Amino acid sequence: MSSVSFKYVKKKYGDVEILHSISLDIADNEFLVLVGPSGCGKSTLLRMLAGLEEITEGQVSIDDRVVNHLPPRDREIAMVFQDYALYPHMTVEENMSFGLRLRGTPNDEIDRRVHEAAQILQIEQYLKRTPRQLSGGQRQRVAIGRAIIRKPKVLLFDEPLSNLDAKLREEMRVELAKLHQRLKVPIVYVTHDQVEAMTLASRIAVMEGGYIQQHGTPMEVYNRPANRFVAGFIGSPTMNFVSGYLEPDKDKLYFKNDSMKVLIPFNIPLPGDKIDYKSVILGIRPEAIFTERVLDKNLSDMIAVSVEVVELLGHRKNVYLTCGSDRLLATVPASFASAPGEKMFVWFCLDQLHLFDKTSGARIS
Amino acid sequence: MDSMPDRYAKELKAQKRRQFIWLACVHAILILACIVSIYPLLRIFSVSLRPGDRLISTDLSLIPAGASFASYANVIKSTFFLRWLWNSLVITAATSLIGVSLASTAGYAFSRFKFPGNRLGLTLLLGTQMIPAGMLLLPLFLMIMKLGLVNTYLGMVISYSVSSLPFSIWILKGYYDTIPRSLEEAALVDGTTQFGAFYRIVLPLSTPALAIAFLFNFTSSWNEYLVARVILSDSSRYTWTLGLFELQGQFVTQWGMFAAGSIMVTIPVLIVFLYSSKWLISGLTLGSVKG
Amino acid sequence: MNPLVVSLAEVVQMVCFVGWGVLLFELYLYIHFNKFDEKWYFPAVLIGVPVSALVFAITAEGADLPGGVIGAILAYAFVFELFAAPFFKYIVRGKHSLAYMMIAPGFVGLALLIAYPLVFEFYLSFHDLKLTTLKMWAETGTLPFVGFKQFKAVFTLPPLSEVTFLQLLGRTLWWTFINVFFHVVGGFCLALLLNQNIGKMRGIYRTLLVIPWAMPQVVAVLAMRGEFHSEYGFINVMIIRLVAKFPFLAHLGIGPVQWLSNHALLTCTLINVWLGIPFMMVIILGGLQSIPSSYYDAAAIDGASAFQRFWNITLPLMKPVVAPAVTLGTVWTFNNINVIYLVTGQAGGTEQADILVSALYKAAFTFSRYSYSAALAVVIFALLFVISVGWLKFTKGSESAYG
Repeated sequence: MSSVSFKYVKKKYGDVEILHSISLDIADNEFLVLVGPSGCGKSTLLRMLAGLEEITEGQVSIDDRVVNHLPPRDREIAMVFQDYALYPHMTVEENMSFGLRLRGTPNDEIDRRVHEAAQILQIEQYLKRTPRQLSGGQRQRVAIGRAIIRKPKVLLFDEPLSNLDAKLREEMRVELAKLHQRLKVPIVYVTHDQVEAMTLASRIAVMEGGYIQQHGTPMEVYNRPANRFVAGFIGSPTMNFVSGYLEPDKDKLYFKNDSMKVLIPFNIPLPGDKIDYKSVILGIRPEAIFTERVLDKNLSDMIAVSVEVVELLGHRKNVYLTCGSDRLLATVPASFASAPGEKMFVWFCLDQLHLFDKTSGARIS
Repeated sequence: MDSMPDRYAKELKAQKRRQFIWLACVHAILILACIVSIYPLLRIFSVSLRPGDRLISTDLSLIPAGASFASYANVIKSTFFLRWLWNSLVITAATSLIGVSLASTAGYAFSRFKFPGNRLGLTLLLGTQMIPAGMLLLPLFLMIMKLGLVNTYLGMVISYSVSSLPFSIWILKGYYDTIPRSLEEAALVDGTTQFGAFYRIVLPLSTPALAIAFLFNFTSSWNEYLVARVILSDSSRYTWTLGLFELQGQFVTQWGMFAAGSIMVTIPVLIVFLYSSKWLISGLTLGSVKG
Repeated sequence: MNPLVVSLAEVVQMVCFVGWGVLLFELYLYIHFNKFDEKWYFPAVLIGVPVSALVFAITAEGADLPGGVIGAILAYAFVFELFAAPFFKYIVRGKHSLAYMMIAPGFVGLALLIAYPLVFEFYLSFHDLKLTTLKMWAETGTLPFVGFKQFKAVFTLPPLSEVTFLQLLGRTLWWTFINVFFHVVGGFCLALLLNQNIGKMRGIYRTLLVIPWAMPQVVAVLAMRGEFHSEYGFINVMIIRLVAKFPFLAHLGIGPVQWLSNHALLTCTLINVWLGIPFMMVIILGGLQSIPSSYYDAAAIDGASAFQRFWNITLPLMKPVVAPAVTLGTVWTFNNINVIYLVTGQAGGTEQADILVSALYKAAFTFSRYSYSAALAVVIFALLFVISVGWLKFTKGSESAYG
């Protein structure tokens, strides 16, 4: 039905290139999240799709129709803004029906659709109020209502949950997921919060510095990050990174540095222009570091560490460890008993190791 | 020897007394200043109440003996006073409407669009304030004369319409700058054109600034004297400023009628000014706070 | 016919005329910005623009325009369009069309009513326009060229009858300085007083104190002028009564003063100070109220006296508020024709109170020395320009000194 595609899209402000040749396809009914730190270009990309920014080079198409030169109102899109952008001088009802009224939709049709959308978003009792009289969460719902009422081909969201408090954010995430199931239009969603990305997306595009660093499902991005940046950005708490080198020992390959020696259980290419065995980075997630010898996991040899700080989260503990000159974070069950200053041993789960080239950051696999 | 609490109580009393004396002085000076401020107006009011046979006198009392409203009736009947008010009203209303309309669109363009000449235009607007008063009057008069518009409403409106434009554009631009652009973007996505977003969203939200600009236009045209003096020569076409000035000549002063006319014009102006002054001050700072 | 109906008809006609002009202009811009790529662009505008210019002129003047004028309008418009049409088609190409269309009416108005008169004034200062040549100019549009003769006259001959340029200049500077000084000092004192803890009365005082500014200037100035009248004005009446009560004062030489004839400038100054203090007071009061009290509290704890607090906290923090107000006030005072003219301007009035701009006005409109006043205007403009540029350099320089 609807789909969106970016082909070699570039954006320049004067001589400065913000987005470098972005190509991306969004299938029908997909929930694509553009995620990345501030300044990576994700909002710019979204606004170019909306028609609020000029496209310097490349093509943007909606439904196989090139929309580069179309003004926003001809693109059949709808957008939810970070500050909701509700018209202060209109009631909720008027806000929602504004687009329909502009197109000359008959009044009874307008009424019907307003009530339909209000019902979905549970804002029926606010229809006669003005935005000033609503809370942040309610305003957000009205903004969403205004967007869905026109039955657009693509729904755009620009960091819609950033202005809400944590609890509301959780609630709205669930609402958005349900909305997507119900509406069956592609959604392009921009956020800097990787939790939102992981929970809402059917596919994620991680962006940094004007490039798409990785484009894939949440599982792919989580389990097989394409480079060090994606590995460090996705997942909370952040992945641990340790510098070292690779050394073959008999017929096995080991990652070594001053404080550890870890077996690499998978095959990697030979050293050459792409990979330098002398400088690599080992990545391991906090939940893949074990403080006890668990039998059903493929574990490395033990590694000597000392405990720095222990934080109790309730059901788990965050344990900060020093290993030589490196610092590691491990998440462990709350039964963990060691105290700061103690020396102990940990084991890495070999199935959850990641290797990255130190200079380029690319994944080695 | 006094104990601590006693000494403290004494000191507190002395302090309170000092404060009281100080505040009393402050009030006294302020009251004196107020009297100086409004005395001329009160005097005009009392002159307007003087009975017909004692129009010129050295009596300083505020409500003269035998006070009557004869002067008010007089000025309305025997001069073109009402006509002058009507002339002023027509010219001022037309000028203000034109001025505010032109400024509203121009201010929006300066606020929202980056076009060559944006900065230059704003600087030029500022520069117009540097032109000495009276410098443009002569050429303006000659132009109006050549167009055959001397003594007409149109001539006056043309002369007044752009004098408040720079200030109005500044005020409106400053206010527009405070309206978030996401509102217009939402309107664009909803289906308006760029101008439609201006007309349907930004303009309705700018009523405070528009009111200030209108008020400013209105008061500067309403109270204007010099340009009117140059362009209008027919007594029935005068604005009220010219009319009143005629009533107070150097040697022959129609004191009573002048006073009555003055009061009738001043009271509405004062009411409007005082009512809107809060707006005016906050409006002047609105633009500057947001830069 | 009932004059009210006549004037209403004139009003309607006026509104229609202005609206019609703006509409035509915007249509012109629209076609040039948005339709430049159409095949019919060039023929349409090269024919359409002269014709619509003619139509507009006819609606303005009536259909009885002489043939020469019709031809001139068509020719000028055609030639203009010959340059404008390709400019829009090849250079502008519709960029920023909405922006220009929105500022166009305002700026065209400014160009016609400020820029053009300015240029015309320069033109006049080099030509000879008097009552005798006025008729000639009205008919043919030409004037005899006289070079710098008028400028020489500005510096050597008095504009009116007695006072020379240098005297006027000195008087203007004195006038500006004294007025602004008392405006600021008076405004500051009143603002400080109003800022004290006087509770509800503050609103009432403030309202009453603002009245000289709120009143229409014509009424205010004429009312104050009335108080300086030698026989019936408040001031002289009080002096007479005082002297009657305390006869020894007469021996000291105190008696009723001929304010308007003998001390015109002083009278104008007093009136203008009275007029100008409220504006400064309001601005300064706003500034005072925006200074956080925590500064004063900290200073009080540090042991500063009231005067030290004023000198070290209030004054420096008020500078950014007071500076623009003083600049504005100085420009307004320098340019203040109103007060001087209203007090001294009628036939038989004195010249002794004139400042530069009021002499300019009187020279042009009371004495009909048109070209002279144009030259004087140019001189004053140059003066103001030099002062402004110098002032800007000075303030920029001191800004950079503070880093």
